[in-house]
Amino acid sequence: MFELFTEGLTIAFTVENFIFMFLGSVLGIVFSAIPALTFSTALILLIPLTFSLTPVAAISVLLGVFAGGMTGGSISSVLLGIPGTPSAAATVIDGYLLAKKGQAGKTLGMSIYSSVFGGIFSLLVLILVAPQIARVAIKFGSPELFALVVFGLSTIVGLSESSVVKGLLAGLFGLLLTTVGLDPVMGLQRYTFGYVNLMTGIGLMPVMIGMFALPEVIDNFLMASENRNKPYEKNKQKVKASFPNWQEMKSTFGLNLKSSAIGTFVGAIPGTGGPIASFLAYDMAKRKNPKVGTGEIDGVAAPESANNAVTGGALIPLFTLGIPGDSATAILLGALLIHGLVPGPLLFTDNGPLVYAIFISILVINVMVLFIQFFGMKVFVKVLDIPKVNLMAMILVMSVVGSYAVNLNYMDVFVMFLAGLLGYMMKRTGFPVTPLILGLVLGYTIENNLRKSLIYSDGSFSIFLTSPVSLVFLILAVLMLVAPTLRLWLKNRKVKKVLQG
Amino acid sequence: MRIKKGFAILLAVMLLLTAGCATGDDEQKNEFPTKSIDMTVLFGAGGAADVIGRKLADGASKELGQPIVANVRTGGGGAVGYQYVLGTDPDGHSIVWNSTSISVTYHQGNMPAGQDYSAFRGVAKITEEASALAVKADAPWKDLKEFVEYAKANPGEVTVANSGVGSFNHLTAVAIEDALGVEFKHIPLDSKESVTAVLGGRADAMVNMAFDAIPQVEAGEMRALGIVGTERLEVMPDVPTMQEEGYDVDLLMWRGIAVPKDTPDEVVLELQEAFLKSANSKEFKDFAEKYSVTVAPTTGAEFDEYMAEQDEMIADIMEKIGLKKQ
Repeated sequence: MFELFTEGLTIAFTVENFIFMFLGSVLGIVFSAIPALTFSTALILLIPLTFSLTPVAAISVLLGVFAGGMTGGSISSVLLGIPGTPSAAATVIDGYLLAKKGQAGKTLGMSIYSSVFGGIFSLLVLILVAPQIARVAIKFGSPELFALVVFGLSTIVGLSESSVVKGLLAGLFGLLLTTVGLDPVMGLQRYTFGYVNLMTGIGLMPVMIGMFALPEVIDNFLMASENRNKPYEKNKQKVKASFPNWQEMKSTFGLNLKSSAIGTFVGAIPGTGGPIASFLAYDMAKRKNPKVGTGEIDGVAAPESANNAVTGGALIPLFTLGIPGDSATAILLGALLIHGLVPGPLLFTDNGPLVYAIFISILVINVMVLFIQFFGMKVFVKVLDIPKVNLMAMILVMSVVGSYAVNLNYMDVFVMFLAGLLGYMMKRTGFPVTPLILGLVLGYTIENNLRKSLIYSDGSFSIFLTSPVSLVFLILAVLMLVAPTLRLWLKNRKVKKVLQG
Repeated sequence: MRIKKGFAILLAVMLLLTAGCATGDDEQKNEFPTKSIDMTVLFGAGGAADVIGRKLADGASKELGQPIVANVRTGGGGAVGYQYVLGTDPDGHSIVWNSTSISVTYHQGNMPAGQDYSAFRGVAKITEEASALAVKADAPWKDLKEFVEYAKANPGEVTVANSGVGSFNHLTAVAIEDALGVEFKHIPLDSKESVTAVLGGRADAMVNMAFDAIPQVEAGEMRALGIVGTERLEVMPDVPTMQEEGYDVDLLMWRGIAVPKDTPDEVVLELQEAFLKSANSKEFKDFAEKYSVTVAPTTGAEFDEYMAEQDEMIADIMEKIGLKKQ
């Protein structure tokens, strides 16, 4: 191992690689920091350019985009209340509240620290126990995935802000939206009304952009027209970016560790990904600290370390089995193949030094991301000094361009505007938006795995109970749903007992 | 204020100039191609289809002297991309990286009636891909014969993973079933899930593209029982083709370049020359080899005939399993 490590070191430590890692990290951060652009778009744009690079340089620039992208999403989540990527959707809830309280700088600092923590944690897992994790991940078939995702869905209860009923309704509506398009198993058209463009379904990106960005835009425009005659007041409150101090690092260590573990494992299971991991971690944080949801730093640390831990996690099945863990690693798989590296069981034996070079590069990238973000953050917070109306006008333009760019499909722009109007109405009537996004993230996976499980079992639902993994997750999901009611009931009983006693 | 006005005037002048340049350009050249070519890719960015298509386009654009931009338009098993291309002017500036999916998505009912393979015109067929029937390395069946015997004795018991209902691998599995005279239980997954299902012991076998089976076979995780293709694969010379074993299955996944039917002859010929040159280059062949894809180029006219032939075969299989809607 030591020999491989030193050989890897000589491959990875070249000026060329460092430049590409740096470029990739910056690109990833920028693409995911701008709402409406995602790092997946950056990856796709980069593929043809990597044709002519050396293998390590090509992988370096793509990994930089991947790791940088996972951290950059939190910038706009915190500063603007609009998730930069789906993986940063959970970060909005507490991050934006903290920013409104004037703690944007501190919140960004924590999110960067947690991100890098998650990235490095998952890298260590990848280096040390990848084959063992892969052996567990491979046991996750359709029934197990179904149960895991149902468990993920049950976190809606925690995301529902004031009313659980409104949260569940929003979540169900999100699930309903995923039934538009071709069904995942038979390929039959549902709710397409003969429109070819609806066959792709309602995209997560346009809905997310619309739901988070447009209500902000509308509110700010309305406010601006009311204040038309007043002189513009400059934001007096100075926003200062700051990195967490030793004390804060220590107090979030346990939380970051657990969140990173969740992220790494979820990432390692093919067919999941960043959004699911960050919501699960967010929910875990909320159960530990009930104040999460009202503007707590824990609510930022947990999803951010989890979504970055997905980067290392998703590489586990890619390197050991040749199976990408999520859509971003699927693009990486393509890039590896271009350079004649076949990810899979033989990658370590055939290309050991190169694999170690990649590990080392990931470590370097994480350190680079830390520095870029640390210095960048001082620039990013300046966004808050721009008059809100001007900023919102820019966001509106970006939203249109971004939703079109995902699939080069005008339908997505309409979907974005409709979702925005719906989001605005939901905001006005007290419906939380996040559960709807979660429903949209999970709906396809739930249906797909439910139906595939039933094909395995010839239609018998007992398949979910005979698999121990699936059984455990389903029981957990039920517990999550009834826990608030149960707690209330226990409390009442205690009160009664006290009164009787 | 004055600065703003000056800036606005400058912008207006620049706008006019660019507009002027654009029209000027059109007048100078009337020969195809007059602008960049938009190549629609039907499947996910970074996947084998996308990457090979981009590499091919790269070579062809050098011949044509205009860039070919690959744009991924996924959805509806290809229908979204096909519809997009059919909606553009048939002047050769919008082409599609076509595949077997045109037959599947049409017969499945996801294209308007009449818009099947014949709504397009072949520019050049480029590649063919073989598929394989594979089982886990520690499975009790050592070869195809033992597998067939077991499947015959236990009809409907052997689970075979494929890449989704109506997918090319599903249709191949049905064709194998038919030729072998057995009955499988088909599990519709996707190409990567099929691998984990077999390795995880959830499915007995998989029918998958050679590309997805090879790394597992080479690593000793899986055993290939038979190849669906015209000849044995270089990387696993011991594995026989289905036809060698006396079973008549010959479905091949093909890819090629196509344009809307009404595109003029001279434009199609110009494209054909460029794409065939790119396909025959050593660079492209070496590249395709990494994906276990055979480069088997033909002219547009031959491609048209080939598409018709293959369409009939696929329609037949889909009819048998009740998937054919039109």
